[in-house]
Amino acid sequence: MDQSGYVHVTVSFDAETTNVTTKTGRARARSNPRPVGSGAPADMTRPTTASPRSPVPHPRVLNGAVAIVAVGFGVTTGLAFTATSRHQLAAPGGVDMFLGNLTGLAGTYLALVMVLLVSRIPFVEHVLGQDGLLAWHRRIAPWPILLIVAHVILLTVAYAQAARAGTFHEIGTLLNSFPDMAIATAGFGIMSAVAVVSIHTIRRRLKRETWWALHLFMYLALALAFAHEIVLGPSFVGHPLTQLIWSIAWAATAGLVLTYRIGLPMFRTLRHRLVIDQVRSESPDVVSITMKGRHLERLAVSGGQFFEWRFLAPGMWWQAHPFSISARPQPPYLRLTAKCVGDFTSALAQLPVGTRVAVEGPYGAFTSHVLRYRRVVLIAGGIGVTAIRSLLEDLPKGSRPVVILRASDESQLILRDEVAELVRYHGGQLHVVVGSREDVPVEHLGKLITGDLRKRDTFVAGSEGFVTGVVEMLVRLGVPKEAVHSEVYAL
Amino acid sequence: MTVKRGPFALAAAAAGFVGALGLHASGSVTALTPKLSTPRSGPSTPATTIPSTSKGGSNSTPPTSKGGPTTTTHVPPVKKAKGTSSRSVTGSTYNYSYGQLAVRVTVTGAKITGLSVVGLQTAESYSQQIADQVIPMLRQEVLAAQSVRVNGISGASYTAEAYVSSVQSALNKLHFK
Repeated sequence: MDQSGYVHVTVSFDAETTNVTTKTGRARARSNPRPVGSGAPADMTRPTTASPRSPVPHPRVLNGAVAIVAVGFGVTTGLAFTATSRHQLAAPGGVDMFLGNLTGLAGTYLALVMVLLVSRIPFVEHVLGQDGLLAWHRRIAPWPILLIVAHVILLTVAYAQAARAGTFHEIGTLLNSFPDMAIATAGFGIMSAVAVVSIHTIRRRLKRETWWALHLFMYLALALAFAHEIVLGPSFVGHPLTQLIWSIAWAATAGLVLTYRIGLPMFRTLRHRLVIDQVRSESPDVVSITMKGRHLERLAVSGGQFFEWRFLAPGMWWQAHPFSISARPQPPYLRLTAKCVGDFTSALAQLPVGTRVAVEGPYGAFTSHVLRYRRVVLIAGGIGVTAIRSLLEDLPKGSRPVVILRASDESQLILRDEVAELVRYHGGQLHVVVGSREDVPVEHLGKLITGDLRKRDTFVAGSEGFVTGVVEMLVRLGVPKEAVHSEVYAL
Repeated sequence: MTVKRGPFALAAAAAGFVGALGLHASGSVTALTPKLSTPRSGPSTPATTIPSTSKGGSNSTPPTSKGGPTTTTHVPPVKKAKGTSSRSVTGSTYNYSYGQLAVRVTVTGAKITGLSVVGLQTAESYSQQIADQVIPMLRQEVLAAQSVRVNGISGASYTAEAYVSSVQSALNKLHFK
């Protein structure tokens, strides 16, 4: 321990020599990397090309898709304008009718976009990453909801004005007389309830699984609303071509959800038949699970990616949790390492060997595909080392990575030996920094990196607070945003 | 998404919006011309599916509409029957939640000989469609029954009620039994 109260160990690996120097001067016996799984190769840190990396992301294809979706949005809002006229706007209720149509069209289109964002379409997910998609989903969320609420209010008022009847009386009329309005109203009720439950203050009082189960009802809400759009919307009544195109858009969205949220994960699960082979404690609150599966040489996954894992054991099969793989697949073995923070993760350590595992994924854009420069910095906070550890296997030759492992105390330093082995292989530098957040200001981490930080790709993984702090520091140091890649672990 | 994608998407949306309006204005997209599935006629031809029992009464149907809050109809004049005098009165306008209408009733002697809807205004195109289908049927029923005691039409009870009420008010004004 030096004066500032933290332990800092630097291990530099020179490609030519095998000497190991430590800044603190303490001689550290290098132990062999621990074997992974019974019968598995003793050294799971040797990079292997036994299974391919995930497909290369194509940002231009995504840009094309974004353009198409955006044009569609423009056309859809335009439909509200083409379905009205000055004469109609001047009539009682006319303006409200127009605005009600406009908000309905725009709101529903955005709702479809919301569904597309979480349907895990591969070429989109490869570029943005599952966490990026969820971030956009959350960002856009208020818009379709508010637009549809406005749609309901505006049209009720509009019809009441047109009929010169009271607004409340009109609600009953609308519900009972127009076809498909009763179920559309039920859908609106469900949508509103799910929206309310997702408000931050309410959501955090719910268990994650409860909130999740309620949120899935959004699919039902949307499905119930479909019929009334086609049958009643002024842009659709008497316009069979518009009805057809709208129906195709809905059917395509449903098809994508069925294919990529349900079909593809099911296919992968059945093809690879993962089964727990070994459960090992890396530390008092961290567990590594090694699984055995078939055809893992056909599982295209990159280091740094994660799966949503579903362990088919009593009480756990109905939840899927995301964990990064802590090593590239070594067919027939696949490993994840997780920190025990709640009921589910604490139960992981008790899972019996032979438990079957269903997977969704691989997901994540935190991969070597995003490398822009030749040199790399990898910064791991606590359990964030798992993504860094598997990412290290994918680095190209000559990347001489600077790797910083940051932990609050020694027991949190997991997979350290494997990381050291990989850093040695790549001829890089390993810094192990142990100490509390108060003892180690984040700026210190920046100082550890030699060479021009702005000409390196920096990968940061860890808790939200850690990642935010490090990324802000890097931005302050002038590192361009495109060179910083982060993976936030929801703990 | 990178910052560039945002403005790019906005530009694409604007292009789609302008395109939709432009296509509509030029009228080159058939989808945007309404094709109502009801038996319709233009303003000058009688409805082909409804046998007319009156001499010269014409069924007026609303002109082509693109859907919207209101549509008004134009009523061709009723021809006088030979010999007996015809009297025509327009009944009161009845508001029926999705719109309003009034019926002009022509009585020749002791028979109702003409019925035509004037001042039909519907809230939007769906109600317009209903009205187009239902009004000819109501006209036929009233003429056949020679009274307002006709069967209701399911799915259009409000429209039928307004129609019948307006005819009744016209008949009252004509002192018709």
